[in-house]
Amino acid sequence: MNMKNSLLITRRQRTNLLINLGLILVTLFAMLPIATTVLVSFKKEQDVTRKPPVIFPCDTPTQAFDWSACRWSVEGYDRVLAPEPASNWLGFELTGNMIRTYIPNTLLYATTTSFLVVILAGLSGYAFSRYRFRGHRFLMISILAITGVPLLTNLLALYQMGVRLRKANIPLYDDRFFIIIVYMGFFLPLSVWIAKGFFDAIPRELEEAALIDGCSPLGALWRVTMPLAAPGLMAVFLLTFVGVWNEFIAGYLLISRNDHKNVMFGLYDFLGQNIVNLQVLAAACILIALPMVILFLFTRRTFFKAMVEGAIKG
Amino acid sequence: MRQLLSRYKGGGQTQTSLPFWLILPTIIVLLAIQVYPALYTAWLSLQEREPTGWTFVGVENYKRLFGTSLFSESIGHTIVFLVGYTSVTLALGFIIALLLNGNVRLSGFYITLLFIPWIIADILVGLIFRLMVVPDYGLLSGILQNPKIIPPNGLSVLTAVRPTPWFGNFAFPPAPAMDFLILASAWRALPFVTLLLLAAMQTVPSEIIESSRIDGANGRQVIRHIMIPLMLPTMVVALFSLTLSGMNGVGMIFSLTGGGPGTSTEVLSYMLYSIGWDRLQFGRAAALALMIAVVNWLLISGTLRVTRLEDRNP
Amino acid sequence: MKRKWSLIIFIALLALVLVACGGAAEEPDFVTWYQYDQDNEDPASDERVGNEYLRNTIPQFNEAFAGKWTWVNQPKAFDRMTTELVAAVQAGGEVPDLFELSNTQDVIDFYRNGTAQDLMEWAQAQSWFSDLDPNGIEACKGPDGKLYCIPISQRPQLVYVWKDRYPDGYPSTPEEFLARAAELKAEGLYAITFFGSTDKGGEGLTRAIWTTISSFGGSLDDGQGNMLLNTPENTAAIEFLREIVANEYAPEIAFAGGFQEEEAFKDASAGSFPTGLFGYRYVNPLTAPDGTAYDKGSAEDMLDAIAAGDVYLTSFLSVEGQKPGCGIDVAGFVIPVGAKNVEAAHDYINWIMSPEQNATWVQGPGGGFPVLKTTQTDETFQTPFYKEAAEAVGSSACRPWYGSLQRPNEAQEVVMNAIYKLIKEDPTADIAEVLTQTQEEYNAGN
Repeated sequence: MNMKNSLLITRRQRTNLLINLGLILVTLFAMLPIATTVLVSFKKEQDVTRKPPVIFPCDTPTQAFDWSACRWSVEGYDRVLAPEPASNWLGFELTGNMIRTYIPNTLLYATTTSFLVVILAGLSGYAFSRYRFRGHRFLMISILAITGVPLLTNLLALYQMGVRLRKANIPLYDDRFFIIIVYMGFFLPLSVWIAKGFFDAIPRELEEAALIDGCSPLGALWRVTMPLAAPGLMAVFLLTFVGVWNEFIAGYLLISRNDHKNVMFGLYDFLGQNIVNLQVLAAACILIALPMVILFLFTRRTFFKAMVEGAIKG
Repeated sequence: MRQLLSRYKGGGQTQTSLPFWLILPTIIVLLAIQVYPALYTAWLSLQEREPTGWTFVGVENYKRLFGTSLFSESIGHTIVFLVGYTSVTLALGFIIALLLNGNVRLSGFYITLLFIPWIIADILVGLIFRLMVVPDYGLLSGILQNPKIIPPNGLSVLTAVRPTPWFGNFAFPPAPAMDFLILASAWRALPFVTLLLLAAMQTVPSEIIESSRIDGANGRQVIRHIMIPLMLPTMVVALFSLTLSGMNGVGMIFSLTGGGPGTSTEVLSYMLYSIGWDRLQFGRAAALALMIAVVNWLLISGTLRVTRLEDRNP
Repeated sequence: MKRKWSLIIFIALLALVLVACGGAAEEPDFVTWYQYDQDNEDPASDERVGNEYLRNTIPQFNEAFAGKWTWVNQPKAFDRMTTELVAAVQAGGEVPDLFELSNTQDVIDFYRNGTAQDLMEWAQAQSWFSDLDPNGIEACKGPDGKLYCIPISQRPQLVYVWKDRYPDGYPSTPEEFLARAAELKAEGLYAITFFGSTDKGGEGLTRAIWTTISSFGGSLDDGQGNMLLNTPENTAAIEFLREIVANEYAPEIAFAGGFQEEEAFKDASAGSFPTGLFGYRYVNPLTAPDGTAYDKGSAEDMLDAIAAGDVYLTSFLSVEGQKPGCGIDVAGFVIPVGAKNVEAAHDYINWIMSPEQNATWVQGPGGGFPVLKTTQTDETFQTPFYKEAAEAVGSSACRPWYGSLQRPNEAQEVVMNAIYKLIKEDPTADIAEVLTQTQEEYNAGN
């Protein structure tokens, strides 16, 4: 690396400038759609439906742009969140379905699914990484091949399965269990491959040492390998979490009760037969995407690792 | 790595049934959520719904599918979409990775910002991009629809008709809406590809670059004759992975264009959605799903072949 | 000791649960699927009218049938409830006792998939049956002549017009229309906006496109279940639409989908808007050509504009020898196959047919005219809006667009694709050729 740098040193400044310029351009390209959405979400309806559109709602009859005349508004957010005065410590509560129902539901689906996926993928990833058995290769390939089945028609069979389960009157059964199991089925295949990759990278010698010290195989797995694999499993958790949060079509077709809706289906409330409140739609988009963006900002290294691992192995 | 694996092969066979139990839960979930629905789809593709119940119709569903002009049109759209999507994403991803590989200050900052699009759900990306080009009201429409900027009449992305095809009925050049769909899809997939290529780029040994520099190669030659060949397997993996996601994704089309204007963004996956869930022709949808599944399996086996190749190389 | 106590507590809890369940079993649930949600109190919701209707009437019903039924409504997504019902019946799963039908062509889907019960025998025995408009009954019949729904409300298509854009009345012939359109264009205005995109599975066909075709005397089928598009009437209608599009008498947003064509009517940049009667609920807020704002942001806006005379309702234009055409849709009830509580559904329908409930339903979820003839004279329907609408519909010949076609969803999509191609995408394409190809492809699946 040092050598490379010294070779380039003569042209370094010029190159650096160019690279920076390029990166700024690219970053602008990446940010532009998000920025316009944020902009729209803070406008009033009368400014959203103007022809021709104005970029900033800051024009006056006499001037094209005047900071003091800007008509920013939180109309859109107000619709989505529906704050109402209340007697709690905040002085208000958010009564929008998005906050009251859809986000809690999605958190439930995403957390439970990711947790179960981590456990199952961790166990089978470990088995695939540490043991050679008959059918090893066949199973690994089959698990991968499963991802090739288009989801859309599977949903018909899954829908019917959900209907039958509901009819079977299993004690304590809830539609939400089914949704979670379905999501597990969607995200397991890739997770198994990723988990196996992470286990492969942990030296087996450590486990052997633990075995010699008198641990059982499961004990060795639990006490030695799992802690080492934790970052990898965390990556699986996060990928699944974001995957479930962002999933639309399965939730849209399988969830049959309003109080079970997830956020992406909930977005549909603002996309009904009268989708023109662009500022509301933009506000809803921002509110739904924001938690994931924040999560990403705090855990980006784990994500990067998982993405590369997932792509190469899967 | 190899040594480890070969050691396993010896000891593995005599192991207990532990791996079986570790893998079992995963297998059960996958059988229920993925394998059974896939088999059901296969059965369904040979059935047609009559008022009395399901009736076996053999390959009739396939024949009808082939008999419609929309099917062949969709294949054309799918090809155009996939070629555009993968080439734009790979090319831009490579350039961005090169820029980031230049080791500039703030690269962590750039990476973080650049990667935000990847975390946003496809259905939201579709909406965000739609908001920009809603005819008359979108912020981008204000520019594009201006006759002074795009003569003679300005361009309304979501409603502009496709140009006359160059080759018979094959949908090339694509409609502006298709170009825009490609742009939106690429926008979301770019972070993933950039990361993958960046990771591969960083494994290119600097000694090789250095020695070729000494031999008098310029930057372009280094990229062309050293970096690209060494990164080829990763690029192929990225290509397959993009094709796979492009082949099956429906969320973005769902919220961005709805297959329109006319049929100009109707790709196979969206056609599958509309036949199955709009028209309720489940048998025909199942037939289409199986055809898509075959393509997916080809892509997956291609990826497998390349990744194994890569395993052997270093 | 500890064990004994926990056992006692467990038994007590169990008894409590059993008592609780037993209590609920006394009044069996009557389950409905509406696209409206009684729990959605958002005053700006698109569906506030229907939501509010349910919020008000569920307690009324439960009071009227106290000790007999408890009405439990499960809200469903408007564009998915038909699919869900079909799939639920196929899977032998839980179905509601009553399904709110808002789109008559669903009847054909229900027939094909064996989803709905035949109600003919029961309905004929009811006192209100003879009072139903025969058109409503006809719309509820499947291709096999069985009665798959009970019609409550009729929703014809008509034209919303800004008075200042058409001060001398709406044109009655294509020629007059094109002449006025050219004048409006010279002022920078559009003569018309309509659902011109292929969005929502080709739904645009059922609206202005069908209104135009039927006003030219055209139709889409041969009466025997085959698609027949290539007729001189249809060709003339398409040529007329081509002229509108080519001369930009309609705004570009008409082709954007997502119901955004409404925008051009809201700000009066387009002078007229052929759509469903029901449309008044969604097209708001409004700004009149003279700047008057109707901006309550609810269905009131359109009603106010009509009462003030800024907007009027009329029938579409037509060619010589033809009455203006229009599509018609019926809203009503379906009892699905496998419904657990058919008796409650019967009670409910009879209750809705009662004079005090009928008008409210038609005004609420129904959004149209009563099918029950006696309700038509109810004072609710004597407002300027309903009177004008009745006049407009009275002077048109309304019929369902799908005629004898048995796969309406598929037909809707392929015909709309073909017409879009002819009027917008490729205005020089040979009309006869495209229409013939479309009908042949469809008929191959018969």
